[in-house]
Amino acid sequence: MEQLATPLLNGVIYGLLLFMVSAGLTLIFGMMGILNFAHASFYMLGAYFAYALQDVFGFWPAIIVSPLLVGVVGILVERYILRRVHRFGHAHELLITFGLSFIIVELVKLFFGNYPVNYRVPASLDFAAFTMGSLDYPAYRLFMGIVAIGMFVAIYLLLSRTRVGIVVRSAIHRPKMAEALGHNVPRVFMGVFGVGAAMAGLAGAVAGAFYTTSPNMALELGVLVFVVVVIGGLGSLEGAMLASLLIGIVTSVAVGIDASLADFMALFGAGDLAREIGGILVLKVSSLAASLPFALMLLVLLVRPSGLMGDKE
Amino acid sequence: MSAAILSLADVHKSFGPVEIIRGVSLTVGANERHAVIGPNGAGKSTLFHLISGQLRPSAGGIFLAGEPIAGHSPQAVNRLGLARSFQITNIFPRLSVFENIRLAVMRSHGLQYCFWQWVDRNRRVREQSEALLESVRLGHRAGAVAGELSYSEQRSLEIAMTLASDPRIILLDEPMAGMSREETQYTTALIREVTQGRALLIVEHDMEVVFSLSERVSVLVYGRIIASGTPGEIRGNAQVREAYLGEEATA
Amino acid sequence: MKVRMVLLAAGVCVLAAAPLLLSDGLVNAAISMLIAALFACAYNLLCGQAGMLSFGHSAYFGVGAFATIHAMNAVDGAGLLPTPLMPLAGALGGLLFGFAAGWFSTQRTGAYFAMITLAIAELLHAIAPQLKGVFGGEAGISSMRMPAWGWDFGSTTEVYYLTLAWVLASLAGLYLLTRTPLGRLALGIRENSHRLRFLGYEVHRVSVLIFALSGMFSGIAGSLQVLSNESANYVMFDTSLSAAVVLNTYIGGVHAFLGPALGAALVTFFGYAVSDLTQSWLLYQGVLFVLVIMFMPTGLAGLLDLACGSARRYGARAVAPAAGLYVLAGGAYAAALVFLTELLQRLFSQDYRSLAQAAGAGHWPPVRMFGHDWTPLGTWTWVAPAALIVAGWLCWRAATAVVRRLQEAAPAVPAGAAGMASPGRTA
Repeated sequence: MEQLATPLLNGVIYGLLLFMVSAGLTLIFGMMGILNFAHASFYMLGAYFAYALQDVFGFWPAIIVSPLLVGVVGILVERYILRRVHRFGHAHELLITFGLSFIIVELVKLFFGNYPVNYRVPASLDFAAFTMGSLDYPAYRLFMGIVAIGMFVAIYLLLSRTRVGIVVRSAIHRPKMAEALGHNVPRVFMGVFGVGAAMAGLAGAVAGAFYTTSPNMALELGVLVFVVVVIGGLGSLEGAMLASLLIGIVTSVAVGIDASLADFMALFGAGDLAREIGGILVLKVSSLAASLPFALMLLVLLVRPSGLMGDKE
Repeated sequence: MSAAILSLADVHKSFGPVEIIRGVSLTVGANERHAVIGPNGAGKSTLFHLISGQLRPSAGGIFLAGEPIAGHSPQAVNRLGLARSFQITNIFPRLSVFENIRLAVMRSHGLQYCFWQWVDRNRRVREQSEALLESVRLGHRAGAVAGELSYSEQRSLEIAMTLASDPRIILLDEPMAGMSREETQYTTALIREVTQGRALLIVEHDMEVVFSLSERVSVLVYGRIIASGTPGEIRGNAQVREAYLGEEATA
Repeated sequence: MKVRMVLLAAGVCVLAAAPLLLSDGLVNAAISMLIAALFACAYNLLCGQAGMLSFGHSAYFGVGAFATIHAMNAVDGAGLLPTPLMPLAGALGGLLFGFAAGWFSTQRTGAYFAMITLAIAELLHAIAPQLKGVFGGEAGISSMRMPAWGWDFGSTTEVYYLTLAWVLASLAGLYLLTRTPLGRLALGIRENSHRLRFLGYEVHRVSVLIFALSGMFSGIAGSLQVLSNESANYVMFDTSLSAAVVLNTYIGGVHAFLGPALGAALVTFFGYAVSDLTQSWLLYQGVLFVLVIMFMPTGLAGLLDLACGSARRYGARAVAPAAGLYVLAGGAYAAALVFLTELLQRLFSQDYRSLAQAAGAGHWPPVRMFGHDWTPLGTWTWVAPAALIVAGWLCWRAATAVVRRLQEAAPAVPAGAAGMASPGRTA
């Protein structure tokens, strides 16, 4: 059982990290109908800004300032680029965020180089929280989980308990009505976009120290985030949480499984047959771990196209 | 009594806890022109969506020439001989008027998946498209971009597209909405012409159109048919007057 | 219409004569340009014509490629098909995988569709290195072109003509497709798939067919790539290839049939010419793409169209100064951007940072760029790009003034009519 506990915990924390990034994406889509391809680049920017500021301000100020900077970038993008393309339709908005994601990655390569940078966990957090079995469990992982949960609680309270939250929710469901009532809906959109970006930036600032910080991180996470929102249902925060945890746990657990599908089929006496067929069946589940989220997505699309918690279109 | 081409039997539709259609029964004869009138919010568009396949009824049956079509997809319903137009013009805006019609015509020639023939060479498709355009008096605008037509020209195009599959019954959803007096008269005459030999189910607010065009009228109020009969009968019906026509009875 | 046929014929002649006039290296570049052009047009069938934005099209290119490499290695290396017919293997692979992937993807539209196509490509990218038998692992699979039909396919020229023949045939096929009922239906799907349902069409099935055909032609492109390189690698499933085809297609212009081909050829050519000189080539591509989407959604082809339309309406001589000024303005802005980017790239590179550290605080060693040494804090280093920007801005204003004068002088024709899609086109 100990063997399961570590991957499970890792999976939950990774899932929470995925949620931090996909929450913003799903909110922005639910509200503005824009699928922001550049969302994962905000995650990357968060990591890089934190890395750059760390030398100047130290770790803790850096991870607070970095998301704020990313939020500003998000607001600028919405105000000066997305709004201009809005009249051409959703396809153009999609393409422009795609182009932006491209440019942001290239700019990062320009300023920081096309290789991973040395953004590391600070000494103050670099200890073992507890021991599980024979392995020490890093405290920083728990830190990441705590930040993610804290963020979720904050956003949830903001949306459901505050006046700002009510305005935002009304703008999600009935933008024209909200505008008729005198609320500045374009500003709300800008704000949501900025906050979404900041959330992704926070995720990056925190995760970048633990995982590798490189220009590739946007792409690697970006695709997973899309899988999360398809599985969870676009526009649904609860769906995003559920799907993130699901994917986090499945991938983490799978990485530890050294058996293959053929071994599983051997339990039914079909082992030799499976081995003869070969191909995917003899691959270890651990090597397939990276492709499991996509397979899950295709499964969900077959069975429940609007996502686990999305509205039926 | 001519055989009914379309019949609704106690159809209900709810959206969550809200029931929009509360038990509608209706029949339309094979060559009948039947109008549905009612105040805003009565559920007329919902009724059309239910009949044409966009929505599935929560209860009750819908039959096209005896065949059950409740809950079928729009394309299946269309193939069985029912075509509808839309209240908000639903055309292919950046394609030419001719292309719009041709797309509507191609399907009944079985050309859905055809990629081995040149569509321009298909004489029957071309002739039928041209004929349809002529019948709605848009022949001279064949090359224009559909999105640039005037509003009533677009409505005429909408009607032509609805006719393209040679349906047994057509559903017109507020075809006169937003039209001037002249355009309305012209379109009424057009509708009367092109629905010869077909059944028509029309939703309209303009009482003159309703009373001049239709043979039977049904009144839908809060998801129920409160009266159904000839235009004269409806005009005289006190309940209808109260619920809908109010004081401005067009006597 | 006649003019177009003449231009087309001339273009084909130029392409046919290319190997006689160009060096081997350039012929290789031309082969890449042709393949990119075909891939972009195949992509445009789905994206520009049917309105379905796929972000994972490298999957079909790659499947076609691997189908071909296996066909080449089959029968103990003799090949399943004679070399000139090898792209048929790619076509089949692309078609079949296109059907499968299309069936899933076209269940949704818009943003969902885009994400599904991306995920399918990523799935392939993640699984491919594990299936060593099929995809050859990290090293990929290699093969050799076999002689056939009297040619030995050893020289670049022969490969070029093989590629040219298939690309021309495929482009012709794609064009003819636009004149078929299915091709017109694709436009209907783009414009209003909702209405098509009410007209009796099984929109999902038609979409799958279009998707599969797009996959088929993409597979042919992949196949040609493999024939040229004699190897296939799972790197072909990378998102950078999917991204490249999206960029190329939109830069060229999605509404003109040959727009994507034009965009792909130009971008590939520039990539070939410039990638040795700069590390920021992809950044320039991205900036061009974003500018096109924001300010000229009809792409370069649309720009050409606008220019020709204006020339027709106002007379070439009247329009020429404006066109020239716009080109100058664009050139100046581009030069400024390149200057600044190259400068920044060098300043932030690791080599420079070590040099700067060695030189000590406050000293900034000069940067070598375009054959000159530029001091980072020197006046010219900042005056040059500033001057370029100002020059560009002045030229732009002058050009707009000329155009406005022309428009005011000829008010009878509605401004903006030039460049609108005419009904006879694929748009």
